[in-house]
Amino acid sequence: MSAFWLSYLPLAIILSSLLPGLVIFTLKEHQAKLRISLNLIGVTVKLVLVLIMLRAVNAGAIFYFSVPFLPGADLVLQGDALSLLFVTLSSVLWLATTIYAIGYLENSPLRSRFFGYFSLCVSATVGLALSGNLVSFLLFYELLTLATFPLVVHRGTPQSLAAGRRYLSYTLAGGVLLLTGVALMHSLVQSPQFTPGGYISAVVAEHAGLLQLAFGLMIAGLGVKAALLPLHGWLPQAMVAPAPVSALLHAVAVVKAGAFGIIRLVYDVFGADSMQLLQLAEPLMLLAAATILYGSWRALAQQDIKRRLAYSTISQVSYITAGVAMLGPLAAVGGLVHLVHQGVMKITLFFCAGNYAETLGVHTIRQLNGAGRRMPLTSVAFTLGALGMIGIPPTAGFISKWYLGLGAVATGNKLMLLVFVFSGLLNAAYFLPIVYRLWFLPPAGSWPHEQRLSAKFETHWMLLLPVLFTALLIVLMGLFASTIISPLSWAELIVEREFRYD
Amino acid sequence: MIDLSDWLWPGAGLGLVTELQQLWWYFSLSLWLVAAAFSLAFMAKAEHKGRYWLFFGLSFAGNMLLIAALDAISFYIGFSVMSLSAYGLVVHSGSKAARRAGRLYLQLAIIGELLLFAALILRASAAGGQYDWLSWQLVPLDHLTILLTIAGLGLKAGFWPLHIWLPQAHPAAPAPASAVLSGAMIKAGVLGLVVFLPAGDPVLQQWVPYMVCLGFFSAGFGVLAGLLYRQPKVILAYSSVSQVGYLIILVALAWTFSSAAVLPVLMAYAAHHAIAKGALFLFAGVNAKQRLPAWWQLLFWLPALALMALPFSGGAAIKTGMKSLFSSIPMPGWLDAGFMAMLLSAGAFLTALLFLHLAAALRQQQRQLNDDSGGGAAAAGLYWQGACLLLLTLTLILLPWLWQPLQQLSLQTLTLPKIWAVSWPLLLALLVTGVVRWRHWRLPERYYDRKSAVLLWSMWLQRLYQPRRQWQAPRLTFNWRSLERALNRAAPDNVVRSSALLILLLLLAASAFW
Repeated sequence: MSAFWLSYLPLAIILSSLLPGLVIFTLKEHQAKLRISLNLIGVTVKLVLVLIMLRAVNAGAIFYFSVPFLPGADLVLQGDALSLLFVTLSSVLWLATTIYAIGYLENSPLRSRFFGYFSLCVSATVGLALSGNLVSFLLFYELLTLATFPLVVHRGTPQSLAAGRRYLSYTLAGGVLLLTGVALMHSLVQSPQFTPGGYISAVVAEHAGLLQLAFGLMIAGLGVKAALLPLHGWLPQAMVAPAPVSALLHAVAVVKAGAFGIIRLVYDVFGADSMQLLQLAEPLMLLAAATILYGSWRALAQQDIKRRLAYSTISQVSYITAGVAMLGPLAAVGGLVHLVHQGVMKITLFFCAGNYAETLGVHTIRQLNGAGRRMPLTSVAFTLGALGMIGIPPTAGFISKWYLGLGAVATGNKLMLLVFVFSGLLNAAYFLPIVYRLWFLPPAGSWPHEQRLSAKFETHWMLLLPVLFTALLIVLMGLFASTIISPLSWAELIVEREFRYD
Repeated sequence: MIDLSDWLWPGAGLGLVTELQQLWWYFSLSLWLVAAAFSLAFMAKAEHKGRYWLFFGLSFAGNMLLIAALDAISFYIGFSVMSLSAYGLVVHSGSKAARRAGRLYLQLAIIGELLLFAALILRASAAGGQYDWLSWQLVPLDHLTILLTIAGLGLKAGFWPLHIWLPQAHPAAPAPASAVLSGAMIKAGVLGLVVFLPAGDPVLQQWVPYMVCLGFFSAGFGVLAGLLYRQPKVILAYSSVSQVGYLIILVALAWTFSSAAVLPVLMAYAAHHAIAKGALFLFAGVNAKQRLPAWWQLLFWLPALALMALPFSGGAAIKTGMKSLFSSIPMPGWLDAGFMAMLLSAGAFLTALLFLHLAAALRQQQRQLNDDSGGGAAAAGLYWQGACLLLLTLTLILLPWLWQPLQQLSLQTLTLPKIWAVSWPLLLALLVTGVVRWRHWRLPERYYDRKSAVLLWSMWLQRLYQPRRQWQAPRLTFNWRSLERALNRAAPDNVVRSSALLILLLLLAASAFW
């Protein structure tokens, strides 16, 4: 690959969604075809570019792009295996969500604004994944906050405005904390490129207290988005957003950005050894464990489908944090692969919830009785997603849970194994009753607000296709986890490269 | 064998490599096929037939997969598919009792699944990332893993005290489903206990005598509990609890160094019980539905007598084989071989009592049908179901004489003392039953057909995980704006100055800490 591409491909990947997004803002509301084509061209170009980059990174190429930004901290884009994991996830799920959103928002107002911000949001996510140092990460992290806010309040109802306000106050406050932490880090060690094994080992002995403070601040800042325990309050409220937004928020963009940041922070800024020396891993792991159990426990009592899914996200995303915080290779594989698996499973569940709401007008779990007969394909997808979340083989969720469990035992944290088992029980307790209602209970008569969206299928094909695609992925990723194209193999590659330094 | 390790995970493979797998595969497969054929007629008029066949097929596939699995993960996949889809069979009728039983079944299935998951994780970690049975044979066990494995698989196998779902789920499911539940699926748990825990492991040896005791207790408990119920399928379910007790004894003996001697008896017991119990459940299903011609009694008595270990039946051969095992396998002093042989005879007596009780219950059921409907017309469906039953019964009669390992045991039972040893418990049971009936000895009515407390437990559990309300974090309704306004009013002119002062102070404080 030529030097030009090695430097500009990361930028091109960001621009492939940013430029269509900016053009879409200028479009009139009725130019639906042009908007759709722009969107789809953007997605396709991005997927092709990501594929090229994926192959190159697999072969060992190093991508590096930088422009001067702050004194001592350039704006750096890079492409390593870890960033590619997140970029691929967001690009593939962006494709699914774009198709879904086109179907979902058909004939609704303000679509140009929606799709514009939608593209911005993905650009920010991809930028965040590709950023090569803490300062560039921070920049994209804040851009992501700003790009998602209009999506959360898209409907403009008092409820969604309230949710948006809450979201903004949480994330901006988190952003300030992260900024403080990054500034502190910058004053201590500058902001060099992310390196496997971290770059702070030279100053650990000298500034232990300050490093711990910086870590705490940054985890608090990232924890807002990753919905760690005391900072999760915005997430269940933000589910008033339209279904594609919730799907993107929960599966890819915001929540995952926080989790991804934690991975970067632990492995590429601090590094496993320094984490041990500073005694930071244990508290983070315990916090994650508490979040896992708390989220699952709160999900039990929720009667609104999307609210229950939101609490489930709080719990499941902390699997990633837990896997990372255990600081063992196997646990890391589990955490990293769960980044992908949870994304695909959760997006399926949110798509399904959106389908039920859009087609049948069903919002609460009680109204779902017998929906399996009216919407069999959606319900099959929901069932697969739910089984995946519980960790029933051969779904993808089983693979991540398996590696997390192995990692817990390998790092000597048998307590974490108990946490995973118990959380699995709780997951079953709040997902299986829904599945039971879908398939085994008779419908209650008429649906709250039924629409015939398609003559042939149970709902609009654009709502159905993404669901089936992601549901298929859940099974394929689980069944063929050991083949070289699976997320698991990629996670193993990352861990191999991350842990190679020693 | 099919090697899938390139495609799936290291060590993944399917195949019938050991004799244990082959036999298990064949008897499970035959039972499933016969049950499927039986369902064609039995479920002909049932509702939701599509759903029934879907779950039937899924659990069939899961059961076959777990038997053919050559590695732990394939086994676990098959096990979960089977366990979860069997739920659809249990709740099939949709009645309140079925839904209650289904809830209990599913709760325990999920708990068992996760316990087994934890056991697998511990075991795979100990084995260093290898998942196939062969590499697991060499890895030493620890107590936690053993406990988790026994609890996880035991919840499926259903011996005391993990049996609580059996008497609820078996009567609720349609007859062919109970036949496979009891004949094939609980055997999957037994198979798992044999393949997961390597024979001869030193830590496992400490568990053997206790598991033998547990097995004996389960065998006795199943019968005594079953005697207190009058619904045929509940009695059959308790009989399964009792029979699994014997299987657990054999499993525990198979964990010792002399597993080569035990395995044939274990296999014979499992196959024999699967086919006999399957036939009895199918019979109970038909018996509850319509009046039966007199010759149908034969289809009940042949499998029942085989399970009661009548001389010349497979049951007698197996019981004799078991007795000889006790004398050949060393046990700790407090568990004397003669004592165990005596317990076995007592067990045979109790089993015979239970089946005589069952026969009375079935007759009672027929009589009630007579009173209610005056008998249904014999149809082609009935003959078809009879043919399925006949097939199972014939297998049962021929098995001890045609299948090599069992044939040797059968030939050993042909001496007079051996025949007497297996006959006297039966005769005693006949005598006792006769006396009890003649004198009309009965317990007070309140002891019979008691509602099980486990349903209450299951409901309590459900309320726990489906709470109506939960603790809410207190909402902070602090109005910042009014405070801010008040502050502004307090310092109307010099806001900028005071803010600057504040920042300066903060900076000073920060530099002091630097």
